[in-house]
Amino acid sequence: MKIAAYIIPAVFILVFIFAAIKKVKIYDEFSKGIAEAVKFTISLLPCLAAIFMMCAVFETSGLSALMTKALSPVFGALGIPKELTKLVLIKPFSGSGSLAYLNEIIESYGADSYITRCACVCYGSSETVFYISAVYFAGTKMKKLGGAIVIVLISTLISTIIACLLCRIM
Amino acid sequence: MNAIFTVIFIISLICLCFIAPDKLLATLLGGAENAVKTSLTLFCIYAVWMGLSRLAEKSGLSKNAAKAIKPLSKKLFKTENQAAQENIAMNISCNLLGIGGAATPYAVKAIGELEKDGNAYAQKLLFIINATSIQLLPTTVIALRASAGSAAAFDIFLPSLICTVISTGLAVTLYILSNKLKGTRRRSAKRAK
Repeated sequence: MKIAAYIIPAVFILVFIFAAIKKVKIYDEFSKGIAEAVKFTISLLPCLAAIFMMCAVFETSGLSALMTKALSPVFGALGIPKELTKLVLIKPFSGSGSLAYLNEIIESYGADSYITRCACVCYGSSETVFYISAVYFAGTKMKKLGGAIVIVLISTLISTIIACLLCRIM
Repeated sequence: MNAIFTVIFIISLICLCFIAPDKLLATLLGGAENAVKTSLTLFCIYAVWMGLSRLAEKSGLSKNAAKAIKPLSKKLFKTENQAAQENIAMNISCNLLGIGGAATPYAVKAIGELEKDGNAYAQKLLFIINATSIQLLPTTVIALRASAGSAAAFDIFLPSLICTVISTGLAVTLYILSNKLKGTRRRSAKRAK
């Protein structure tokens, strides 16, 4: 934990000193970088709004609860505890949603239980696939992304199964 | 993305009609509001990291990073584009360090560069690598567990590392294999003609 805390300051110090040595106008360029961030964020907003609306409807329609119920036995057969089904389902859609749910798991099962450790590994080794796909390809003409998304989801599921196994023995 | 969006949206709408039709508008507005809030948070993250990344770019630091992974980017991504290589290098370094917020703008820039070359193969590969999460140290999760009073918050480090290596490795292999398969099929189709 302590080493991790030093990573970000170290990166900043390294870049600033290196830029100063190379005589880069630091204030000017830093501001220009932020100007890029403004443009970038605005270009993302339409896609984000659409995806978030989809996620909201998915949640309130009861479809996500229904899928959780339907998939629990399937996941159970694969060695994924049923307490994790919801987490595994939410993670591809929403980072903040799954983080909130991970918090819930930690609180209700205790920080060192098998379920919590499993949940942490699953959360740490997967990503918000749909959100990333929307953000990355917002400005491109990419049409056929379905295959790539399926590959990512399959790999994530397999690594989740392995995560549950590893937490049992390690 | 269009197909997935349509399917999930329509099925959800039908389900919603049965459960609570009056809640639809509030739900959609809530989603949009959430998007605005998130993009504000994202802007703060991007402002910090894109400011810094501009310094790294202008001082030639990104160029050095690109040189370090050049053999890899040439072989795996099949790109000669210097700017794309730089952005890919920085994206992967940020991911490994666990600074996800900094990784995203680099990925988007790299994808923009690859778009100019029409290199859809590399675009998808970069997406796959990012979407399966490559992280040496899962800082968020470790911090969460430590604050919940875990006796050994670090003990998930090794399983996490193994899993993230497996998922990324597997996804990249599957992608390259499926691409090769498509290539041979196309070639044999041409021969048949």
